Amino acid sequence: MPDMRCTLDAEHALGKRPIRRYVWPNGLRLLLFRDPTAPIFSYQTWFRVGSRNERPGRTGMAHFFEHLMFGETETLGPGQLDRMIEETGGDNNAATWTDWTFYRTSLPARDLELAVRIESERMQRLVLEDGQIESEREVVINERLERVEDDVDGFLDERLFELAFSEHPYHWPTIGWMDDIRALAKADIHDFYRTFYAPNRATLVVVGDLDEAEVLALVDRYYGDIPAAAAPEESFRPEPPQRQERVARYTKPVHAERMLVGYKAPPQRHPDWPILEFIAALLCGGPSARLYRRLVVDTEMATSADAATMPFSDPSLFRVGVSLARGQHAEAALGELDDLIAALIRDPVSEAELSKIKNCVETDFWAALEDCDGRAEALGHYESTLGDFRQLFVIAERLAAVTADDIQRVASTYLVPTQRTVVIAEPEELGS
Amino acid sequence: MIEIAPGPRHSRLVVAATDDIPLVWFQFAFATGSASDPADREGLSYHAAVLARRGAGARDRLALDGELDALGASLGVAIDRDAIRYSGLCLARNLDRVFELATDVLIRPRFDAVEHGRLVRESQMTLDELRDDDHQLAARFFNRHCVPSHPYARTIMGTERSLATLEIDQARARQRDLLDPAKLVVGFAGAIEPERARAMTESLVGQLPETKPETKPETEPDIAPGGAGQFQCPALDGYSQPAGRRVVVVDKPERAQSQILLGHLGPRYGTREALAMIAIETAFGGTFTARLMQEIRVKRGWSYDAGCTLQRSRGPHWFRIHLAPAAEVTPDALALTWSLYGDLAEHGLSADELAFARTYLTGSLPFRLATARQKVRAAIQNQLFDLPSDYLERVPQELAALTLDETNHIARTKLWPDDSLAVVVATADTMVPRLEALGYEHLTVLPYDRD
Repeated sequence: MPDMRCTLDAEHALGKRPIRRYVWPNGLRLLLFRDPTAPIFSYQTWFRVGSRNERPGRTGMAHFFEHLMFGETETLGPGQLDRMIEETGGDNNAATWTDWTFYRTSLPARDLELAVRIESERMQRLVLEDGQIESEREVVINERLERVEDDVDGFLDERLFELAFSEHPYHWPTIGWMDDIRALAKADIHDFYRTFYAPNRATLVVVGDLDEAEVLALVDRYYGDIPAAAAPEESFRPEPPQRQERVARYTKPVHAERMLVGYKAPPQRHPDWPILEFIAALLCGGPSARLYRRLVVDTEMATSADAATMPFSDPSLFRVGVSLARGQHAEAALGELDDLIAALIRDPVSEAELSKIKNCVETDFWAALEDCDGRAEALGHYESTLGDFRQLFVIAERLAAVTADDIQRVASTYLVPTQRTVVIAEPEELGS
Repeated sequence: MIEIAPGPRHSRLVVAATDDIPLVWFQFAFATGSASDPADREGLSYHAAVLARRGAGARDRLALDGELDALGASLGVAIDRDAIRYSGLCLARNLDRVFELATDVLIRPRFDAVEHGRLVRESQMTLDELRDDDHQLAARFFNRHCVPSHPYARTIMGTERSLATLEIDQARARQRDLLDPAKLVVGFAGAIEPERARAMTESLVGQLPETKPETKPETEPDIAPGGAGQFQCPALDGYSQPAGRRVVVVDKPERAQSQILLGHLGPRYGTREALAMIAIETAFGGTFTARLMQEIRVKRGWSYDAGCTLQRSRGPHWFRIHLAPAAEVTPDALALTWSLYGDLAEHGLSADELAFARTYLTGSLPFRLATARQKVRAAIQNQLFDLPSDYLERVPQELAALTLDETNHIARTKLWPDDSLAVVVATADTMVPRLEALGYEHLTVLPYDRD
């Protein structure tokens, strides 16, 4: 690669082809996976900034950028960015969570340069004036009304994290508190952009029917001269240990109770994280899973039950969600959950059940990698959250190696009532 | 590469093989859905198809779920107005066994009485959850009231009242009627060779019962147990859109925002008229830069999303606009949307808009057919809708031949802003007076938990 400023930094095979990571002197990373199965590609820019990088009073800033980044740049007029993508037949979108924000553009293979040009442009030359800010503020307010104020699941999820965390930024929702959204100031928006939208905070993930040398040359040309930004300080305090169960109830216009339970859990990089994820599958990973079977089938107490370990960079939650059947009460479902967790701690899981979960996990692993966007998202998440895309495969290996002893140890360590938070929505007529 | 071929006994087979990942997805799709349910048995197709999944052959529900999970497989059932689909996903090494279990579900369901009762109760609870979701709630009321006599006005899952009257023998008869090879399309995608897919399809179809040589005419279905051919696809043409601008306010407490659906009956997917409507849909409300999104979201910030869709179905189905403005701007947003829609019907698209729609729709095709599973799904849909096997691939050519005059003639004749229904999920006591002030003559308020 003559005159190219990047270096090949890491490589790992996915099927018959390699995933390669290149790094530029300004800190930009590129993950590249060539997939010739269709004449398209996915181009994703993952910024290592999410709601955990915000401060009280400025919540929702990272998500607000998810909107602002589709506006005007110094060389692209209002609406032009979207129009250029749509004129190819491609599409684009973005997502924000606690640890990252990513921008996805899917285009025909012949339009690689368009993606590189647009994404490098809005990384460095976004126009942030009053008109753009105020227009998007109203849109974000409406998004929040739809996803939180008028949505019981969104409302309850927000309450769970608000109650479970008191110090850490996981306390506030990614979309931000309504009052903060209304008050986000132009100067703060500019500061946020200069701090976090820089090559040393970004990973490009490019998956599709592309020529590797052409990708490298274009990325080098469009991004190679963008200066790195100073690394921001992380100012939040770690979350203190939880020593007592926290419970809150809310009345909502719903027909039946809904409950979320969050047990304090380790970060995704921790060796116990895959074991908790394995336990989540044991409880709710399929129609024969223990909690689903108990609540939905055997007792008919609930219409659905799900469990997952939050894939976050800092200690977070093992989250269980239950939608109760009409007339049933969350406390009873919680009792059933306690009973099943006690059994996990007391009785070793059989080899047959271990094998079942390993097969389910293997299917899920491959299903998530079925298309270009899915592959790029998986790689982008692990690179941004854990610092290395190869953790995708490390965690898959750990899941395949989980033992009955692991489950007993981890369940007894984390799934204890004093370390959990319970939030319940109940129909208005039952409210106290 | 995708293969589409006649299967045994007039069934059809679609295969897209790839060794990219070690999974196989397969589907048994039947060209009959909830629109074939008798008017007083809403939810029957759904109930029968889901109940079949809850125990089959030698396995009760627990044993069947347990074995599928042990294989790392999923076997789902999806019912819409036009089709019933059983879809499996598994590791390639477990395909034979999973396919055997899926065959049992299809052909040898147990229809256990305990599971029947359990499913009725579960469906009733699911209706509760639907009412807690404003968007689904709006869609349910829109479907019901847009053209009340239309088969697509029937609910897929049923109503509290219809669910309470479903009987297990009716479900058994519905499933038996399904097993007509001529209604069946089998699809495979993933790590499977076409020869193996063909052999598995032959095995499946060979186990289907013999069907009666003659079927009943398209009359009100007979739901008595026994015999094939009782649940005919109903006539889907010839329904009239009720006249006037109608507004249904679905009254729900504490709404900060209003889910709005506005529309009417549209042309049948796959026709020339529908093709023009899809171009209109693209330019008016199908992309971020489309008119609706620009006027509602970008210029005014009134709604996070705003767009429109022509429902792709076997028969003529809804052309529907959606948006979700805050309660305080709902009357203004509804009035503007109706005005924009009226302008579209009167003046149609500009030449630039039509050119953009052609370019966008043609360019987006590779994304809709990128994976083996997408290709097979699209091919199955073409089969179910009696469209040419390569219908999607032909669309660019058809679009290229679409003139501005033809498009705008279809806009004038097939967009009916003055004969539309608007469903608004909102809190009635504050919303209704403000809507009445706008002069809507046919305004009805219905409680959100009405069946």
